[in-house]
Amino acid sequence: MNGHPTTATGLLRRALHRHPRQLGAATLLLSLHQACEALVPVAIGVTIDRAVSTGSVPALLASLGATAVLFVVLSQAYRFGARHVVAGWFTETHQLRVEVAARVLDPHGLRGTPPTGELLSIATNDAERVGRVVEAASLVVAGTTALAVSAVGLLTISVPLGIGVLLGAPLLVGLLQLLSPWLTRRTATQQEDVARTAGLATDLVRGTRVLRGIGAEDAATERYRRTSAAALASTLRAAGAVGTYRGATVLGSGLFLLAVAGVAGALALDGAMTVGQLVTVVGLAQFLAEPVGLLGFAGQKVAEARASAARVVGVLAAEPLHPTGVPPLPGPGRLELPALGFHVEPGRTTGVVTTDPADAEALVALLGGRRAALPGELLLDGQDVAGLDPAAVRARVLVEPHAVVLFEGTLRTAVDPAGAADEAALRTSLTAAGAADLADLELAVADRGRSLSGGQRQRVGLARALLRGPDVLVLHDPTTAVDAVTEGEIAAGLARLRAGRTTVLVTSSPALLGRCDRVVVLREGAVVAEGPHHELAGRPDYAAAVLR
Amino acid sequence: MSDQLLPVSTGRRAGRVVWDVLRTRPVATAVTLLSAVAAAASGLVAPAVLGRLVDAVDRQEGSIGPFLVALLAAALLTAVLTGVSVVLMARLGETVLARLRERVVDRALHLPSATLDRVRGGDLLSRVADDVAKVAEAVTSGLPQVVGAGLTVLLTLLGLGALDWRLALAGLVALPLYVAALRWYLPRSGPRYAAERVAMGERSQALVSSVQGADTVHAYADEARHRAVVDDRSARSLSITLDVFRLYTDFGWRTNRAEYVGLAAVLAVGFVLVRADTVTVGAVTTAALLFHRLFGPLGLLLFTFDDIQSAGASLVRMVGVADLPDVPPAARARSTTRPAVELRGIRHSYGGPAVLDDVDLVLAPGEHTALVGASGAGKTTLAGVLAGALEPSAGRVLLDGAPVEDLRAHVGLVSQEVHVFAGTLADDVRLACPDATDAEVTAALETVGAGWAVAMGLGTLVGEGGRELTAPQAQQLALARLVLADPPVAVLDEATAEAGSAGARDLEESADAAVRGRTTLVVAHRLSQAARADRVVVLAAGRVVEQGTHDELVAAGGGYARLWAAWSARG
Repeated sequence: MNGHPTTATGLLRRALHRHPRQLGAATLLLSLHQACEALVPVAIGVTIDRAVSTGSVPALLASLGATAVLFVVLSQAYRFGARHVVAGWFTETHQLRVEVAARVLDPHGLRGTPPTGELLSIATNDAERVGRVVEAASLVVAGTTALAVSAVGLLTISVPLGIGVLLGAPLLVGLLQLLSPWLTRRTATQQEDVARTAGLATDLVRGTRVLRGIGAEDAATERYRRTSAAALASTLRAAGAVGTYRGATVLGSGLFLLAVAGVAGALALDGAMTVGQLVTVVGLAQFLAEPVGLLGFAGQKVAEARASAARVVGVLAAEPLHPTGVPPLPGPGRLELPALGFHVEPGRTTGVVTTDPADAEALVALLGGRRAALPGELLLDGQDVAGLDPAAVRARVLVEPHAVVLFEGTLRTAVDPAGAADEAALRTSLTAAGAADLADLELAVADRGRSLSGGQRQRVGLARALLRGPDVLVLHDPTTAVDAVTEGEIAAGLARLRAGRTTVLVTSSPALLGRCDRVVVLREGAVVAEGPHHELAGRPDYAAAVLR
Repeated sequence: MSDQLLPVSTGRRAGRVVWDVLRTRPVATAVTLLSAVAAAASGLVAPAVLGRLVDAVDRQEGSIGPFLVALLAAALLTAVLTGVSVVLMARLGETVLARLRERVVDRALHLPSATLDRVRGGDLLSRVADDVAKVAEAVTSGLPQVVGAGLTVLLTLLGLGALDWRLALAGLVALPLYVAALRWYLPRSGPRYAAERVAMGERSQALVSSVQGADTVHAYADEARHRAVVDDRSARSLSITLDVFRLYTDFGWRTNRAEYVGLAAVLAVGFVLVRADTVTVGAVTTAALLFHRLFGPLGLLLFTFDDIQSAGASLVRMVGVADLPDVPPAARARSTTRPAVELRGIRHSYGGPAVLDDVDLVLAPGEHTALVGASGAGKTTLAGVLAGALEPSAGRVLLDGAPVEDLRAHVGLVSQEVHVFAGTLADDVRLACPDATDAEVTAALETVGAGWAVAMGLGTLVGEGGRELTAPQAQQLALARLVLADPPVAVLDEATAEAGSAGARDLEESADAAVRGRTTLVVAHRLSQAARADRVVVLAAGRVVEQGTHDELVAAGGGYARLWAAWSARG
């Protein structure tokens, strides 16, 4: 339904196609860089051969001049090539991140939204790994170029030696790469243990005040000490693997050098090769590890990018929670749940009392569109909500949940996210929400309203809902964090501002229910009683749920 | 509540702390250092052998055999020494690090209450998390490489000197250029990296905020604005990342220039020396190869320089906390006694107007007192004073008529702050009493009506990364911890405020069960809780304005009676 690729490969292919300029420039320049790197040992060899061995000053000047040009080209090629790589890589990452955010914020929602931490990781780490495919692609070309240049250099000096080196270098890198999964396994456990230690420290410090309340600081310190000691033991075990790997790497390249120097040295001693050529061969043999390593590195990055691309696609191509529908026709704002025998009269205030808090939660989730309505489950002015456009339904039915979420900004943006209301309207709704004490509209509000008290958050959320003034307003336990006096003011304010409009209060507060035109009692998925608060107050189950 | 920072140590002091630990392991330290030097030195054997080989070729005499033996020996020796030094360095570095991080967390958890209130929460968290991680990263992956590279550079220069001092001098020509490149780069990169970290933090925050609040975003049709914020912050961090990388590549260009100058100098000086017959072609070859081999380790040193710097900054911040005074473990009182608690002439202000103004209050042994008042009346401050979490500006708290040295040892506090500790359910509750058996943990959970926790299984992972608990469930765990800690005096500060109204009632029952048998002060949010207490104290503007039983106060027709009428709102 959206234009995103639906497979990991598709996503990677699009990543490459989206940055043709960067990819092209990066590939060219990095290939040039690798070719020049291959020529550095050649240049040293040539300088030794032509100048140092002969004592010719013009040859020395020519060699050093040529080497200078080589260094300039080499470093400029890297400088600008790498910039293009990074530009392509991180621009792609940025684009993916914005797409993931847009997908999560799509009014149709998505089925099976991953937990926040995972989404954050998809939008940062996975997006970055997918973007890296731009780098991997240019490195494959550059590494191949370097191999080709080295091959030409070696084969020009000695064909058998050249073939031997060209086969031996990849073999060596391949053998060392065989060790790397083993190393990864050994270090992965260690990284997990260290991460657990870090997580425990953060967690304990976050809960310091709670720990102090019950004098548990010593117990917490002891727990951390044990975890830290376990992580240390695991790190030391992994250090053995790291040491072995590093030793093996050193040994492998040492033996390779031995083989090359042995053959080339024997040839040179026989006079079949000049001193400079010997130096060049040895230098190239050492250098070859770099492009071969690059190819291995690029392969590994592509594999990582593919795994990450699958996760990104999982979000981008996820099924929407709500199907596309038509906008609802205008109406007075009558809600019906036929299966429950429950309805809300338009233009009136209806209280909803549930004997089980989970039922209230479920009702609010359905009305707010956190769960998709089944066909025929929920009707708005006689129209089946399952066939309506979710955003258009929300424009008419606003649900402010119990746990109010406020975003970073000022009090003004918190109450009026759309920025459409004038100051008088803002003040009216703040007053009705019992929040007239919050007079400074430019007051800074931290993310999730952390800079406000629980009661302030709740009242600001209420003011926001009242200001919006929807056809149908659904409030869930809107006054649990405010004191009794303020609760009374809020009940009056609600009645004043919502007069003549449909309002649903899912609550067990007598102060709010007393002001409702009608209260509906839900038990085990059915309406068991309805009527005004004072009439229901005589029922024992109602009293048990509300009056205590 | 001013924003203060925790102490930061000095580089000298941090070095001293590390040295003190190393001094307790003299043999390990010496062996580690020796193995690292030997590994770097053995790495120089191969180029020296190759130089001799070149000389032999130049003279057209000798056989290849001895060279091969020497190269083989060099390869084996370097491999073994490198592996051993990596392991030894990890042993030493990681042990020092583990001791240090344990000390930091210990001091962080034992910060004096007054300090805890004053410091920025983020600062403390970043000390135990970010700083520890940064130093750990440096020790685990940075240290062996940097030490190895540093020694290689040093020994290579010595090796060049051994060949011919003039060749070494030629190589040293590059040094000022490297230093200049570094001096150009560091002042520019530091602020940019800091800006990049801030931008990334803001970017993540925008994402998390929008994702977590997606329902609210949808409800207010606010999608476009939130998308724009994410786009904007992401674009900003992108532009900083590209800017940082541009700088990095400019730095690379400067180091490449230094490399060339050094290499050209070695070759040119070698040329002159060979012409003067002072050194052999082989020696010049060795020198050139040695210098070429330096590009890798030199680059590593240069490009990790800012990592080393920032690890140093983190180490100094860690030592700042680790150097705080050690707090000996406290003995906890158990509820075998039920003390009378007396608050005498308590005044408190947070630097502004008085929040508590001459409060006198007596809690009889085992009595349950409810504290009622509007927000801002000083309820939480009074609760904090009674719990020993807050040192009042004036006045005293007495237990059974006598002052106590450590009030906190006698009082358990459950506040509005809810925290579920990551780990198993049993681990969470057991923090209150590490020796408690599973049966005791289960009993504590059942006392507070957390049968769900027992049904879920004590081994269930909860908290960050585990099963998410509802606010009332989390608060029940806090109450279970209180039961297990079993203090003689309990203070509950709006322990039921965050729950929905239906959940709050269950929590009230849990709270009642948790404080049974203890002298208790409850900051009551719901008046039903006050109605069940033995006594009600009404606080207004930092003063006690009414006190008595619920019935007495309702009959008296004062402020409490009006609150109660509004609360119960029958009809």
